[in-house]
Amino acid sequence: MGAEDNVPLDDKAKRMRDLLSSFYAPDPSTNNAPSNPGTLDAINTSSFDADQYMNLLIQKSNLDELLQRHVEMAAEIKNIDTDLQMLVYENYSKFISATDAIKRMKSDIVGMEANMEQLLDKIMSVQSKIQFIYDLPTRLGKCIESEAYVDAVKFYTGALPIFKAYGDSSFQDCKQASEEAISIIGKLFSDSESIQARTEAAVLLKQLDFPVDSLQVKLLEKLEQSLGDLQLKTDDIENASMESNDPKLGKVPDSVHITAHEGSIRGFAEAISAYRVIFPDSEGHLIKLAQDLVVKHFETVEQCVKGRFSCANLLVVLRTIWTDVLLMDEVLSEAVLPGFSLEAAQNALKQHVASTFNYLLHDISDALLRLNVSSKEAAEENPLQVALEASKKALLQGSMDVLLDFRQLLDDDLGLLVQLRDFVSDWVQEGFQDFFRALYDRFFLLSGRKSSSSQDQGLTAGAHGEKVLAGLVLVLSQLSVFIEQTAIPRITEEIAASFPGGGARVYENGPAFVPGVMCRIFRSAGERLLHHYINMRTQKVSTLLRKRFTTPNWVKHKEPREVHMFVDLFLQELKETTSEVKQILPQGLERKHRRSDSNGSTASSRSNQLRDDKTNRSNTHKARSQLLETHLAKLFKQKVEIFTKVERTQESVVTTAVKLCLKSLQEFVRLQTFNRSGFQQIQLDIQFLRTPLKETVEDEAAVDFLLDEVIVAASERCLDPIPLEPPILDRLIQAKLAKWKEKNPITP
Amino acid sequence: MQGGSSGIGYGLKYQARCISDVKADTDHTSFITGTLSLREENEVHLIRLSSGGTELICEGLFSHPNEIWDLASCPFDQRIFSTVFSTGESYGAAIWQIPELYGQLNSPQLERIASLDAHVGKINRVLWWPSGRHDKLISIDDENLFLWTLDCSKKAAQVQSKQSSGMLHYLSGGAWDPHDINAVATTCESSVQFWDLRTMKKTNAIEHAHIHNANYDMKKNHILVTAEDESGIHIWDTRKPKSPIQELPGHTHWTWAVTCNPEYDGLILSAGTDSTVNLWMAPTSIEDEAISESIAESPAQQADPLLNSYSDYEDSVYGLAWSSREPWIFASLSYDGRVVVESIKPFLSRK
Repeated sequence: MGAEDNVPLDDKAKRMRDLLSSFYAPDPSTNNAPSNPGTLDAINTSSFDADQYMNLLIQKSNLDELLQRHVEMAAEIKNIDTDLQMLVYENYSKFISATDAIKRMKSDIVGMEANMEQLLDKIMSVQSKIQFIYDLPTRLGKCIESEAYVDAVKFYTGALPIFKAYGDSSFQDCKQASEEAISIIGKLFSDSESIQARTEAAVLLKQLDFPVDSLQVKLLEKLEQSLGDLQLKTDDIENASMESNDPKLGKVPDSVHITAHEGSIRGFAEAISAYRVIFPDSEGHLIKLAQDLVVKHFETVEQCVKGRFSCANLLVVLRTIWTDVLLMDEVLSEAVLPGFSLEAAQNALKQHVASTFNYLLHDISDALLRLNVSSKEAAEENPLQVALEASKKALLQGSMDVLLDFRQLLDDDLGLLVQLRDFVSDWVQEGFQDFFRALYDRFFLLSGRKSSSSQDQGLTAGAHGEKVLAGLVLVLSQLSVFIEQTAIPRITEEIAASFPGGGARVYENGPAFVPGVMCRIFRSAGERLLHHYINMRTQKVSTLLRKRFTTPNWVKHKEPREVHMFVDLFLQELKETTSEVKQILPQGLERKHRRSDSNGSTASSRSNQLRDDKTNRSNTHKARSQLLETHLAKLFKQKVEIFTKVERTQESVVTTAVKLCLKSLQEFVRLQTFNRSGFQQIQLDIQFLRTPLKETVEDEAAVDFLLDEVIVAASERCLDPIPLEPPILDRLIQAKLAKWKEKNPITP
Repeated sequence: MQGGSSGIGYGLKYQARCISDVKADTDHTSFITGTLSLREENEVHLIRLSSGGTELICEGLFSHPNEIWDLASCPFDQRIFSTVFSTGESYGAAIWQIPELYGQLNSPQLERIASLDAHVGKINRVLWWPSGRHDKLISIDDENLFLWTLDCSKKAAQVQSKQSSGMLHYLSGGAWDPHDINAVATTCESSVQFWDLRTMKKTNAIEHAHIHNANYDMKKNHILVTAEDESGIHIWDTRKPKSPIQELPGHTHWTWAVTCNPEYDGLILSAGTDSTVNLWMAPTSIEDEAISESIAESPAQQADPLLNSYSDYEDSVYGLAWSSREPWIFASLSYDGRVVVESIKPFLSRK
């Protein structure tokens, strides 16, 4: 009751209140400020002294005032009296009703005791439950902390009805906290926890009534992701094995990786089995997953075998894969993973074989092509020999290494490989067959015989960018012989010893590796290349001769003054050929002309004609009978063979080259018409050639004959064939010889 | 000496380089050939294969003023032929007619219808269009290609047009496309060039060195066979001049001449300075380019393209001609003046 509200109240009401309050107030003096008893106002205070008040009133007031005071006071007293009566009455009625209530209470309180006890019990139980709910978040937290997810879920599912009933009201906080805790279990999916843990979690989540479909999808996603992890590990293996490959030790790659990988695969397998338990209808997905894994594994393998990858490393990888496959097969035999991976392994191995041989091919080409480089630098003394030896070594050693390498595949008892043994055998044999085919092609590509139509990149650029060296062709030829005579027999032997049988497949064209055919191919290649070499060498001379014979006007030739310089160039070419041939061809055993191998012939009869001509120079009308004579003579005279079979000896090759050059010389001469001086020039040049050529070649008779033939041809094509007088011829030759010796102190 | 005895021989008096099939003679299988002798009197021989095919008969013997470097029979008149000759110092070319009554005359003289004397350089070849009657002739010298209009009745030849081969291209010969009257190929040291006779412009070229001789396939369009010094024989599709369709090994020494059979597809003859004539079987289906590669693939399994090598010659063989009347017969001429006519019948069955 605020004092401000009092303002409109009349004095009476105020006083009433004051009275009442003084009645009830335990200490009225604190309410009312101690008023001065000496004033008239003190009437309402507790310290009121009636006598003093009277004295004071009388003293201060006159009569009127006193009278008025009296009236007032009487009225006040009356009022107060009434108020008092009212006050008492009111309090009394209150008391009456209080008594009534006490009376009622007295009757009601009977039977309360039992109810109270019941209530107590109930309250106690509710209290413990509430305690559990309140504790639940912490408890769940603890469970999760100690990874007792099963318990956690049990607790949570227990509390779940309460949360369902009161979650929105009383236990909102608790529910939230618990759900948060439980959702950690859900989070386990996204964590990098082990697959198994996740599977368990999945089981639990299923208990938690998570939607199964999304769960399934989620788990599948997880599994797929884990595939990626597994994949990475295979890469590690690759890296590790690449590293270990570097020091060429073929060391088994880091086993830590392997075990780690195996662990995760095991987890994966368990996850699969768990998954199958949870989602019985999900086999299709799982099979696909498992197969994907295998496919990815083999993709990695195929990536690996594209590089230089030893079988030892391959074995390690395959072993890992096979372990994986077996593990997964245990839990998911429906995926037929062994069969599946067998197929993939077939492809991978096939590729490996192919790439291994490809590298071998590269090595050999590299060894050969080094010749181009080294000959430019001219550092080595016998570049051809070096190149031949290097390529021989690359070939034989390389092949043996390859065989040894593949032997490991055969010897291994890995289940995967055991089944593929026969195939490996076949592939290796097939590989050699293809390798030699490819090598054969490569040889001809390198030799420049074949146009680059066979799209063999890489080397084509190297081989065609510059002119093919004749020496390289000779090396290739020798290498072909080596392959035919040494390499293929050795390899055949090795294959027979280490790669028995095969025969997993039926070949329409007989066995995979047919050494006989290969030998034949390389024998013919060796011959062709040798011929090619001779051709290349003679072609140079041919160009020289062409220039020599087409340039001057032979009909207006001047008297010969010296041996023409083309002879020097010719002999120079020959010297180069000889030096190349000496580096890598064996020496011939016999210096004898072999007639039986000839495939072409020419009679030497007309050289006799020349000798006749020498004596009967001007006897032109005898020519007709002479020709008849030559025909006749041919019938009786033993033929001198020009184009004998080339043998693989220094002498034979040089001789063949010389013969071909001289034959070309003859043909060029036949295309010209000479005056006497022109003829004499030819006579001089040829005469000079006689001695050095005979020194170089094996078949003196044939060379002699061919030289004669050139002079005959020249005389036939001469308008006035009068040879040089022998003394002049001799003098010119001596002069040339002297000059020549000056220039080349050592005679060739 | 395989196949040595089968040939029918005929001896010329002197050395000789060229022989030609008398295509216009439809009654007999005849060849015409001429000698190459610098200092003697040269002769032209008209040779006929006897009806039994067992011997070669000299049908006519005519003296020719100079040594003959090239000789070609007119494809539509058996009595007309062309020669390229040399006096030793200069070259000339002429069209000749065999006198009508030569059988009855004592010393029949060849009648010179026309001299192709517009040339200054060394003449190499005179070409007739191989497929029939055509009033044009082509002559080739070192540097120029001439197109002549020949009028046999008026006995006149006129230069229709002329084209220089260009610097540094010394022409050595050529071939007239039997399938295209306006196309001719010329050979030079470094390439084969193709010309359009209407414009006398170069249309195409095969860059390939040392080609001695070129010959068009009579049956198949666009197929040209070339013979080279060292690298043997190449078969080209003229539409794809970059690389040959096929390669044949050729001869031990130069492959001098090459000629396609007028009738049998893929039969090619080559003559070489190694004193042999080789008969090749090289099917030239244009699409089948894989052949050349598959040879390298498995030479053991591939049939040898060389059917036969005739080696019964004593000297280089420069002259070579199929008979168009009996296309299984060919004549070859070695430098020593020996004509050998052979039948390839035994090898036809293998085809």
